[in-house]
Amino acid sequence: MDFANLASQLNAGTILPEGIVIITLLGVLIVDLILGRTSARWIGYLAIAGLLASIVALYFQWDATNPISFSGAFNGDDLSIVFRGIIALSAVTTILMSIRYIEQSGTALAEFIAILLTATLGGMFLSGANELVMIFISLETLSISSYLLTGYTKRDPRSNEAALKYLLIGASSTAVFLYGVSLLYGLSGGQTELNAIANGIATAKVGQSLGLVIALVFVIAGIGFKISAAPFHQWTPDVYEGAPTPVIAFLSVGSKAAGFALAIRLLTTAFPLVAEEWKFVFTALAVLSMVLGNVVALAQTSMKRMLAYSSIAQAGFVMIGLIAGTNAGYSSMLFYLLVYLFMNLCGFTCIILFSLRTGTDQIAEYSGLYQKDPLLTLALSISLLSLGGIPPLAGFFGKIYLFWAGWQAGLYWLVLLGLVTSVVSIYYYIRVVKMMVVKEPQEMSDVVKNYPEIRWNLPGFRPLQVGLIVTLIATTIAGILSNPLFTLANNSVANTPMLQAAIIVNTQASIITTEQPEAL
Amino acid sequence: MLSVLIWIPILGAAIIGFWPSGTITANRVRLSALTLSGLVLLWNLFILFKFDITNPGMQFQEYLPWNETLGLNYQLGADGLSILMLVLNSLLTWIAIYSSSKQTERPRLFYSMILLISGGVAGAFLAENLLLFFLFYELELIPFYLLISIWGGEKRAYAGIKFLIYTAVSGALILATFLGMVWLTGSTNFSFDAVSTEKLSTAKQLLLLVGIVIGFGIKIPLVPFHTWLPDAYVEASAPIAILLGGVLAKLGTYGLLRFGLGMFPNAWSIIAPTLAIWGAISAIYGALIAIAQKDIKRMVAYSSIGHMGYVLLAAAASTSLALVGAVAQMFSHGLILAILFHLVGVVEAKVGTRELDKLNGLMSPIRGLPLISALLVLSGMASAGIPGLTGFIAEFIVFQGSYSAFPIPTLLCVVTSGFTAVYFVILLNRTCFGRLDSLAYYPQVLWSEKAPALILAVLIIFLGVQPTWLVRWSEPTATEMVSAILPIDKTVISQLAVK
Repeated sequence: MDFANLASQLNAGTILPEGIVIITLLGVLIVDLILGRTSARWIGYLAIAGLLASIVALYFQWDATNPISFSGAFNGDDLSIVFRGIIALSAVTTILMSIRYIEQSGTALAEFIAILLTATLGGMFLSGANELVMIFISLETLSISSYLLTGYTKRDPRSNEAALKYLLIGASSTAVFLYGVSLLYGLSGGQTELNAIANGIATAKVGQSLGLVIALVFVIAGIGFKISAAPFHQWTPDVYEGAPTPVIAFLSVGSKAAGFALAIRLLTTAFPLVAEEWKFVFTALAVLSMVLGNVVALAQTSMKRMLAYSSIAQAGFVMIGLIAGTNAGYSSMLFYLLVYLFMNLCGFTCIILFSLRTGTDQIAEYSGLYQKDPLLTLALSISLLSLGGIPPLAGFFGKIYLFWAGWQAGLYWLVLLGLVTSVVSIYYYIRVVKMMVVKEPQEMSDVVKNYPEIRWNLPGFRPLQVGLIVTLIATTIAGILSNPLFTLANNSVANTPMLQAAIIVNTQASIITTEQPEAL
Repeated sequence: MLSVLIWIPILGAAIIGFWPSGTITANRVRLSALTLSGLVLLWNLFILFKFDITNPGMQFQEYLPWNETLGLNYQLGADGLSILMLVLNSLLTWIAIYSSSKQTERPRLFYSMILLISGGVAGAFLAENLLLFFLFYELELIPFYLLISIWGGEKRAYAGIKFLIYTAVSGALILATFLGMVWLTGSTNFSFDAVSTEKLSTAKQLLLLVGIVIGFGIKIPLVPFHTWLPDAYVEASAPIAILLGGVLAKLGTYGLLRFGLGMFPNAWSIIAPTLAIWGAISAIYGALIAIAQKDIKRMVAYSSIGHMGYVLLAAAASTSLALVGAVAQMFSHGLILAILFHLVGVVEAKVGTRELDKLNGLMSPIRGLPLISALLVLSGMASAGIPGLTGFIAEFIVFQGSYSAFPIPTLLCVVTSGFTAVYFVILLNRTCFGRLDSLAYYPQVLWSEKAPALILAVLIIFLGVQPTWLVRWSEPTATEMVSAILPIDKTVISQLAVK
């Protein structure tokens, strides 16, 4: 094997964005070691610059002629680029939020950022991972960093408990996932690359054997954990309540996007033979998540817990696109995750801001806020209404596209359930808006009565403000001016050979199955 | 041209809403909202003036591609069905703003929400794209919720949430039906003319049509789905009640005519008998419940249910006369409900109660509220269908148009019309007549408070005497809508006869 051939096999240019993140990560660590706490004033911005550079690098990777790299271990196709972009963007916003939050908790910022960047790295690699070992390693990088982040405020017993719970459930679900993956390796006759696995299973003529189904179920257990789909959701409310809020913001968007990236890639390429089965399983997961997430969220009193159940429910909505399995289905998922990034992070920024100023995140404590902090009220209302799918906000267009794609694929009952549970969701989202806007001045909570004067020039508040305003504007207009985002999502699906191949197989299968009832 | 009707209010709402607080008094905000809505009203009258009444199709069309993936285009147009509703919307918005208090709490939010609703309703009446319609339809949800639950009466929180949930369910049903209409017909676009449901089997058409009827039936509201209405109307303050009853209910009937009758002419003729009976039941129910009420606002609220029943009857009959009657009834009901709610609001503000048992002798010339009572008598008569007022014209056309198709439901509605007179006589008797309590001392009614009612009263009388101005706009469109039905109607009947 000569060097030129090796270089082309490696094709290391595809992971340039991740390379930039690694360099930033090391930079952050080293600067922290040399300068100590004095660097905390600007180290966050260094990390943000690195992540933004990585996003620029992603932009230049768009439509790469040869996305396969590292002998097939990594696939930098357009689908992965969008997911990597979502994860990097969610890390950027998380850092904007965390500069003040972590400072106030009295822990080191640089360490936090380093772990966060590692999690980002894991997520980004997971989006393009095309080989079982690679998938597992990046999944673990993401997971282990997430455990550390969850327990980062180590003097807070709730944070410790959340970390323990997350670790125990996470580690076991990864073990289950690993078992499923090892079954795949065995079934396919020793293949680890995803395409080769599909071929291997096809040639080994195991067909829809029990082994394949078990492998599928085990793999879905791992994915369901990451996207917090019911019934693999039990960690979500507790972790969301206990962990530092910026970490939750990252877990709800970055980690979830990574989970969906994994789901798309793994399920469409490695399990074409049991496509009906995994769609069935995901239908069940989607139904459970939509119902449970939305109904249980009604009864929450803590803001973070409510958003935990809301994020379970939102995962249910996104799964509609995955189950549809069409071009429109996949791109509606991408579009929804993009707008979900804006609205959820906007919401979490508001929650952080409120808890920084008052030290609580109980829903009842928000009452009467509009008088003291109109910007926060506006931003939180807009983001929650957008999560509820009220026009003309971004979330409305996201949901419409998901339902539209679902309906197009014939998932009538699922779409109807999505519509019904959306109505339920409006109720609990509006409850918070009601607390903030509708309450009279005399109904103001004690916390709001003593609300500190709004000062944006305190250290670390400026980035929060920037994050808040940018996500707020994006949530407001990303629906109305949605064409670029739609084009991005559609192109990324259309330009991804892996998905196109899967869709063709899928439609052929469905033509065969649907022709019969038509004839009747 | 039409975009102005949508965007001036919405932009105005944004400007008013984000205007720095503390630099502007409540009255200034009110005046600027009033000016904006006045401008919109003038523009709307100008459009009405330019409207070609011989053209049955869409006029002043506007088109802008928006989102191709979703099949959502910015496509506007006005025809005979919508032009009067547009005028009603901008007129009632102006009156609602005019009749709002000068010392409204949190004025910026209040007026920007009203303007947002005005723009949204105009958008819904103008939209020529199902998804665009839905977008504007759902846009009303949150502003109305806030308007009811911030500036409402005692039980406003309950009423607001109830309204929100009912309307959200209605929206979900309508969206599901729209998706079904577009996808089952294999259309890739939500544009009105791209969706033709004739290809569908009758069963599918019926299913979709039922979705439409229930979805809009909640908003109209029809009888089993009406329970949000008394709470929302009663708890809302007078200007909001004017908008709710005058404009929002029309969105429901408009949706029923446009999407139910307009898009499913075939299935419509199958369920028309049911709808006619339903309309009659709705009307009777509204009237009988209104008789039993002790609160004048509640009475007016139930009268609204009754009057909307006539629209359903007319839509079911779907002769061209009945459709003209339906549009006329929508318009005149908007006017009458607005004046009634305004007067009730004035009475409540001056007297301090809405209870029939406590009100008495308001007609008393010196210590009472003579002009307000006189106008109340006039509008009660208009609502009950007394000739010479617009209510009679509309109801008469409805009955005339529907009798040939559904005689029994029409007769029932005529009887209901009598019941309407009954409860309005009770209302007037208990409030305006009798002796004034010797302790009563009511504040003066200012001219500015009387003005909206006077304007509406003049309109009600004028249209009652000169009804051409009420019906001429919708005639060609109604004729065309009916001509789309008749051939199919016959085939269906012959098919049924063969079976």
